[in-house]
Amino acid sequence: MIVRAMRGHPYIRAYMAGVLLPSWFLLVVLGGFLIGHLTQRIPAGLERALIFPMAVVPNLWGLWNLLYVSLGLKERISIGAFGAVLPVVLVPAGVGLAAALGLRFYTAGHALVALPAIMAVYYLAWKYGVGFFNRVLELR
Amino acid sequence: MNDEELSFIRRQVKAAMPAFEDSGLRTDLWPRMLRRMEEPSPIFGWFESALVALIVMSFLSFPKLIPLMLYHL
Repeated sequence: MIVRAMRGHPYIRAYMAGVLLPSWFLLVVLGGFLIGHLTQRIPAGLERALIFPMAVVPNLWGLWNLLYVSLGLKERISIGAFGAVLPVVLVPAGVGLAAALGLRFYTAGHALVALPAIMAVYYLAWKYGVGFFNRVLELR
Repeated sequence: MNDEELSFIRRQVKAAMPAFEDSGLRTDLWPRMLRRMEEPSPIFGWFESALVALIVMSFLSFPKLIPLMLYHL
């Protein structure tokens, strides 16, 4: 019965599996940011750049994985390819937030150049990271 | 309060409160978790290798891409 109960709530498990990897990586980014801040290599006010990876990225990863599981896309599209499409949604949101927060290091032109590399990294992260978490959580 | 009164109270409390059922796990879930973790991961083929090479080359050629990448992770 407990095993059956643990197989329930697939959407919550899918969300958690999606959120996990960017949340861990955020610690690395935050560590680098703090070191840069302590050594005064980061200009003041750049803390605003952390809002997007802290608040938006992990939640969108979770929701994207939830979408993958709830729509039953596993038979039709690989999780890596599905994850590689996420930057198409995420990058415009990042550019918009950067513009709203007055972050000049990131413009639409930069986004267009960076998009293929971001998609490639996402493909690998989703195929080997989120895919692994989905397997461990029995999201088949 | 003497021993007789104490044992009377003990009996009354035991009678009033039913014993807890054993609600613990009957099976150990950890071996199942280990089995799933040890399942073979997808093959790292030529396409994935080409992607890694592309990513490394683009970061080496355009180091400004690195903060943009970090912004999206």
